[in-house]
Amino acid sequence: MPDSVQRTAAFILSGYALYIPANIFPIMTVSRFGQGEPHTIIGGIVALVESDMLPIALLVLVASILVPLLKLLGITLLLFCAHFRWQINARLWTRLYRVIAFVGRWSMLDIFMISILVGLVDLGGVASVIAGPAATAFAAVVVLTMMAAKMFDPRLLWDYQR
Amino acid sequence: MMDSDESFNTSEVKLNKKSELPLVWLLPLVALLVSGWLIYKSMSEKGPMITISFPTAEGLEVDKTKIRYLDVEVGKVTAITINDDLKTILVTAQMNSDAANYLNKNTSFWVVRPQVGLGGISGLGTLISGAYIEIKPSDGPKESHFIGLTAPPLLKNTDQGKQFVLETSDLGSMRPGTPINFHGINVGEVLSHELSKDADAIRLTIFIHAPYDQFVRKNTRFWVDSGIDLSAGADGFKVRTGPLISLLSGGIAFRAAANDGVKDIQPENTLFQLYETYDQSTQIIYKNTLRYVMYFNGSVRGLTEGAPVQLRGIPIGSVSNISLELDKKTAELRVPVTVELEPDRIREVNNQANVSDMDIMAQLIKKGLRAQLQTGSLLTGQLLVDLDFHPKSRIVETANDSVYPEFPTTTSSLDQFTHSAQIIMDKIAKLPLDKLSADIDHTLLALQETSKAATGMLATAKGTLSNTDKTMSSAQQVLKSLEPGSTTHYELDKLLQELNRAANSVNQLTDYLEQHPETLLRGKEEE
Repeated sequence: MPDSVQRTAAFILSGYALYIPANIFPIMTVSRFGQGEPHTIIGGIVALVESDMLPIALLVLVASILVPLLKLLGITLLLFCAHFRWQINARLWTRLYRVIAFVGRWSMLDIFMISILVGLVDLGGVASVIAGPAATAFAAVVVLTMMAAKMFDPRLLWDYQR
Repeated sequence: MMDSDESFNTSEVKLNKKSELPLVWLLPLVALLVSGWLIYKSMSEKGPMITISFPTAEGLEVDKTKIRYLDVEVGKVTAITINDDLKTILVTAQMNSDAANYLNKNTSFWVVRPQVGLGGISGLGTLISGAYIEIKPSDGPKESHFIGLTAPPLLKNTDQGKQFVLETSDLGSMRPGTPINFHGINVGEVLSHELSKDADAIRLTIFIHAPYDQFVRKNTRFWVDSGIDLSAGADGFKVRTGPLISLLSGGIAFRAAANDGVKDIQPENTLFQLYETYDQSTQIIYKNTLRYVMYFNGSVRGLTEGAPVQLRGIPIGSVSNISLELDKKTAELRVPVTVELEPDRIREVNNQANVSDMDIMAQLIKKGLRAQLQTGSLLTGQLLVDLDFHPKSRIVETANDSVYPEFPTTTSSLDQFTHSAQIIMDKIAKLPLDKLSADIDHTLLALQETSKAATGMLATAKGTLSNTDKTMSSAQQVLKSLEPGSTTHYELDKLLQELNRAANSVNQLTDYLEQHPETLLRGKEEE
């Protein structure tokens, strides 16, 4: 694939750029009887922990924060390897790439959940769920990282190994 | 070939790269722009942080409680802490950027909670949604720390109208929120009450909504419109009731005077008197008063403060003060009675310029106007001060050390009466009663003898009377014999007829002799 590194770098940078708003802005607003406050991803996790739902909190933490972050960092690392021709264990790093490429789609879990909630819970004044600006940004991050993973050519890891 | 290929390829790739680079790198540029714009937007929406202290955090929740103005969210509570004095709480709130304009010194904050009162129910929405903090923008310099109100202010920001001040001696059931009625329409309410500076009156700040505020004019009267007014008069019983809400919680009513025009509309914060009852408010209040002090000689028992001062039976003032004075030098007791005269009650004819009421009074006093105490009611013994002309009475000056001029008095009719009665009693006391009784004794004895003699006389009289009786009966007999039908009567009748006939013959004779006087000599001529 031509310009694999360049393209991957461009996508990964866009991913970083959108990762920030995805985490600082509210991802959704759940309102009951017209009253509700927007939740950020971290705010939602804190709320889950506070209401003693630790497993779900962990799941959301892993799926919504750690996985995208690790993906971004992993691809960045792979890019550096390919670009600066680091001497590494190419077999191990290829496996890392495969994991990243596989796990990418699972990060869409949050977005699926939000889109289902927005569609389902629309009871007007009684209760409703509204997606926030972070949802768009988050979806963009997931798509961009998937694209970045797709753009990356794992063969580059092998090219300069001695 | 390899080299040339490579160089060719490189140049081709370079060309490709040049054409492809901007396209790919456009993506992170757009992403950066979008996230940068998002962040900038949210940052710019955030306004200043403010702190508000409240006595309690009841119903307030971090990140949930909103700050609203006209039901539009303008901020959010971000933290609640306890103040250093451990008596109040401190609410930290993140305001929106557009709220920054009205975070001024006089801006007020209060917590809206559901309220149920006689005046109505408010804040029902907060039962479900939870309390929120309401803001009322105002002017003043910028401020970031506020002291929250404990109760919502009665006035909304949008209310148009005027504030006025009412003065009353007793707060009664007035409290903030007490309704004010104008012809039965609820047009305003009491905002607050405070003691006046001299602590002699209560001042109520009231608010009258537009357009009714224009009816508060120069002679507008306010009165307490609570409960039922029941009055009995010559025309029967009268019952006045205020609105039901006033019956329950008290109220104030006012009415405009008929002769006030638009030019008499009063400006904001004008002071009005609050009358206790409707009847009181209908009485005319004269502002122009003359005060005099009167020294009465006799007792003033029955004279009370507020007793009327009458001039020829028409009230022109009232007694404002009665006290007792002791002159330590002469050990003389005096009763100075201060009266308040209202000269405006007297309609003036032939008005003269440059003559004050005081001058006219002095003139009247010179003409003999005097004050005297009179009994107003024989039943209760209430006294009143009556002014009338006693041109003959002298003006007795008293050492007057009051601030008011003295009004000469004359002894009251009651005093005069008691005085005369005293004299009579004295005279009676001086009578020689012992001697009198001895004389009376003698007289009585003489009378006894007289009566004895009289008894004798009466017996004689009895004899005389029986004689008279006999005489009367004989007279009756005589009269009976003269009755028609009796012999005597017939005979008398006959006698009278004979006499008649005799008189006729004499008459004929005299006539004949008159015509033929010669017959006396020659005798009757034969026919």
